[in-house]
Amino acid sequence: MSELVRLTDVTKVYQGGITGALNGVSVTVEQGEFTAIMGPSGSGKSTMLNLVAGVDRPTSGTVVVGGTDLGKLGETGLARFRRDHIGFVFQFFYLLPNLTALENVLIPAQLKGNSPNGRARELMKRLGITEVANRYPARLSGGQQQRVAIARALINQPTLLLADEPTGALDTRSGEQVMELLGELHRDGQTVLLVTHDAKLATRHATRVISVMDGTIVDDAHLESPERAAAEVIRVRGEEASR
Amino acid sequence: MSLKYGVLGLLKGEPLHGYEVKSRFEAMLGGTWDVNIGQIYTTLQRLERDGLVRPVGGRGDRGKQSYELSPKGQQALDQWLAEPDVGPQQLHEDIYVKLLLATRIANGDLKGMLARQKRAYLQRLRDLNRLEEGARRDGRIDLARLVRGALLHTEADLKWMDELSSERFGTEGAKTQ
Repeated sequence: MSELVRLTDVTKVYQGGITGALNGVSVTVEQGEFTAIMGPSGSGKSTMLNLVAGVDRPTSGTVVVGGTDLGKLGETGLARFRRDHIGFVFQFFYLLPNLTALENVLIPAQLKGNSPNGRARELMKRLGITEVANRYPARLSGGQQQRVAIARALINQPTLLLADEPTGALDTRSGEQVMELLGELHRDGQTVLLVTHDAKLATRHATRVISVMDGTIVDDAHLESPERAAAEVIRVRGEEASR
Repeated sequence: MSLKYGVLGLLKGEPLHGYEVKSRFEAMLGGTWDVNIGQIYTTLQRLERDGLVRPVGGRGDRGKQSYELSPKGQQALDQWLAEPDVGPQQLHEDIYVKLLLATRIANGDLKGMLARQKRAYLQRLRDLNRLEEGARRDGRIDLARLVRGALLHTEADLKWMDELSSERFGTEGAKTQ
């Protein structure tokens, strides 16, 4: 595995006491990892993701993604970096309402001057949204909208897939389907960085859980995934001996 | 839950002999509760003594005796199923006592203890997730539900660790000595 992301002593200060500040964060992420960043709201976990995505700049410190120091890029360079390397999935989907599902999926590719209809349809088929390709977002369920957003995030074959509370606006069942998708993508080699406050979701596919609290990393746990017998994980205990 | 009602529940479907009860019980619990055959025989004998089950047919192969549910056993089972679980909450894990002691012992490494425990809970969540996934894959939705319960409990344990970690600890616990 090779290093894909490196944050070095990153600080982010927001004017006016907005929460989400970071205070001297250093961390690296390897290619092919599924990493969860966990913490309560306002802890700075989304800020970390935004800095990696190049949608926000640190107050101090450096952010290097795929060998590129984002601090050295101007606005145009950053926009190109995001387009070429980052797929971003948000809690509230952010689909354009006046475009169909298929057209939404194609936006990032069109920004590059491509129109890979075949790939878009292939992705939509894989995500189970082929039948809604020509519908507008308002006519899609939340789960379908999020799958459209995931297809859009993947259309340019991003180096890094970032997901910020991607199940936060979904019912349990749709949320689980979205998590299964992220797990599948990871098994196919996609590097995934997931921000969540939900430890159940964080540990579903992630083998690494970074805990953020008040702008600092308080724990960085690498979890094991051995085949364990049920009895090693759960023990249902009864009262001993019926009288 | 006691083995007694587990046995009654299994006999509701059809008469079974001791070994069948054991294997079906363990299969139902998906390996999360091992019972030895001796416990099963003792339980069956007690149930027979109390009139909740009765022997059916003669002794078959290698002297195996099958049992069926009696009307009284049926009633006891129905009643047990209908009753909510009440009584004190069971806290089996050492962490509860460790926490109390650590707040009393000067220089107790409480933060470290909480951090290590938190990691253990994270790993458990990971293991439970995999177990749930496996249960679903095997079509064992009932078992997946049980694992889901364990997942939610562990999530609560983890939240508790986070809450404790953000607390300032003094010697307040020692005042009640």
